[in-house]
Amino acid sequence: MQNLLDNMDLVNGLMARYGVRFGIYKNGTFREQIFPFDAIPRIIPKEQFDYIERGLIQRVTALNCFLNDVYGEKRIIKDGVVAEEFVFSSSGYLSVCEGIRPVKGIYTHISGIDLVEGKDGEWYILEDNLRIPSGASYPLIARDICRRVSPETFVENNVAENRDYAALLKETMDNCNCGGINVILTPGRYNAAFFEHSYLAERTKSVLAMPGDLYVEDDIVYYKDYSGHPKKVGTIYRRLSDEFLDPMAFNPESLIGVPNIFDAFKKGNVALINAPGNGVADDKGIYYFVPKMIRYYLGEEPILKNAPTYLPFYEEDRKYVLENLGRLVIKDVAEAGGYGVVFGRDLDAEELSHMKQLIKTESRRFIAQEVIDFKDLDIIDNGEMVPRKADLRAFVLYGKEVKVWKCGLTRFSRNPDSFVVNSSQGGGFKDTWVLSR
Amino acid sequence: MKKLRFVYRTSQIFSNDITTHYFTLRCLPRQEARQKTIEMNYKLWPQAGIVTTKDNFDNFVQKGEILYPHREFGFEVSGIVQVDHSRKRTGWHPCYKYASGYTAVSTVLWAYYQAHRPDQGDELARALYLMNCLYSDFKYVQGVTDVHTTAEQAMTLGRGVCQDYAHILIALCHLDGIGARYVAGFMIGEGVTHAWVEIMCNGYWYGLDPTNNLMVDETYIKLSHGRDYNDCAVIRGSFYGSAKQEQTVSVIVEEVH
Repeated sequence: MQNLLDNMDLVNGLMARYGVRFGIYKNGTFREQIFPFDAIPRIIPKEQFDYIERGLIQRVTALNCFLNDVYGEKRIIKDGVVAEEFVFSSSGYLSVCEGIRPVKGIYTHISGIDLVEGKDGEWYILEDNLRIPSGASYPLIARDICRRVSPETFVENNVAENRDYAALLKETMDNCNCGGINVILTPGRYNAAFFEHSYLAERTKSVLAMPGDLYVEDDIVYYKDYSGHPKKVGTIYRRLSDEFLDPMAFNPESLIGVPNIFDAFKKGNVALINAPGNGVADDKGIYYFVPKMIRYYLGEEPILKNAPTYLPFYEEDRKYVLENLGRLVIKDVAEAGGYGVVFGRDLDAEELSHMKQLIKTESRRFIAQEVIDFKDLDIIDNGEMVPRKADLRAFVLYGKEVKVWKCGLTRFSRNPDSFVVNSSQGGGFKDTWVLSR
Repeated sequence: MKKLRFVYRTSQIFSNDITTHYFTLRCLPRQEARQKTIEMNYKLWPQAGIVTTKDNFDNFVQKGEILYPHREFGFEVSGIVQVDHSRKRTGWHPCYKYASGYTAVSTVLWAYYQAHRPDQGDELARALYLMNCLYSDFKYVQGVTDVHTTAEQAMTLGRGVCQDYAHILIALCHLDGIGARYVAGFMIGEGVTHAWVEIMCNGYWYGLDPTNNLMVDETYIKLSHGRDYNDCAVIRGSFYGSAKQEQTVSVIVEEVH
């Protein structure tokens, strides 16, 4: 590995040249920045990854059952396992999706599950991302460049191949294709993950389309190619959130949507990856219920643990949260991307009492979690090796079977005092080596 | 039982040509236990092919597109609806108990509810009490709110129109654990479209008109219902072109004897 670390300048030079970037909106202006790469990989031994893999397959299978149930029979609510308060008041619950069954019953085609490894050696699930989880392209291209710079590193270390991501993605798109071409729909150049959209389109041999390239006629979606010739579209991997997808079904002010695309989906004429309405299952409040879903739908004990979580909505939990607020982390269920996360220990007396008041009056709005002391990973900062907090986003793809990509996006915080690793908050990333033996 | 004749006309004038215009309309009377359409005429301009379907709330939805340049868009629906208020309406979805985009509660509505909490009665009695409070504390004023105004914002202003009254009453009902939904439609004597609320009590829906502090009777025609304005908007459109638009709406409802 030393050979790889010795050639860091070359690696970073290539990353910059390939445009490995992440866009950030701050104070209303769009800025694109290099997504900082640290060459020391996270290494996960084979047996450990096998265990994570089993846990993730179980979790995503249960979440997909939940989505089928919520927009269908609602058994889990009628049986009192999940509180309806958290389902129907979630901003991710879309009433227009009621009664729709996506192709083959698959909602969660691509899940990005965020995990951390605790100092106790246990892996904990932090968050499920079931809408448009981004980030797979970064370790993909980083591996590519590292392999080019230092091929021997990968021969010596038995690192599981990660180049199969494109094949997994293509298989997932083909599996639900309703007849027609595969399209990756990007909102355009000024999206945080535009780099990834174009990269994945090229790798999966899909058409990269902007919203204006697609139109709907008689509930069928067409792509207009460069000559103006229409091609029927069978699968759309849309990197556009539900809200902006179709001005006729969702936000009427969306300028980037495709009118009537939702009706085409509803009729079963096109598959949308991921299905609309998934936000109800990756809601921070619903997270609490995922272990219960696994027991309910699969009759199994959860393999991977949740971080210990409390819902102030339940009186018993609320009492505990109010008494222990100073050492808990509070998350606003309506926020994403590392925003709306408050550590009790950072609050002064006045802020604590304000937060307590909010928890009492708007108890449905917050969840509280124990702070997990997660393992640091070494990074190189100005030539020095220093420990930083890091998490792992694992990618789970739901095609004919549910599969976990043997890699993942390891994100770290560049600030030594921060636990927040989101790239939208300026963190960096590492390659994730899953060992093949 | 009453028979109501109605003429409902909406027209949008654009300051420039628009094109590739997709639209969705919810402008036909609902078919449900309380009301039945016995005669209907329908006109749309300019010429467009339309398809009529139903949405997930069982409202009629008409979809269509006009791909050529035009400056005016409009429709006229007229006919006779038979309203029988003795026919009770059932049907339930748990979403009617929880806030949607327009009815989310924050500090102002929360404080108002705390100060006007109904202390007894069934859902209908409590909802009527809340409606009565709202009617005396909220002023009908046009032009201070618009179609984007939420219940919380309107309550903060203390003024608004029927849409705001309806959103606020729904939010207050939710706070009191009462299932409530938004209704768009017409009433005798109102020259434009109207909005009110239905609340669930003992398995039946009851109509409450908070703008007029009245129980809904056989002088009202329902177009659609849903969680809030967004589920019931009469026109949704998407088009190419840069144009200002001016909309005129007229509604005439009268009893047929």
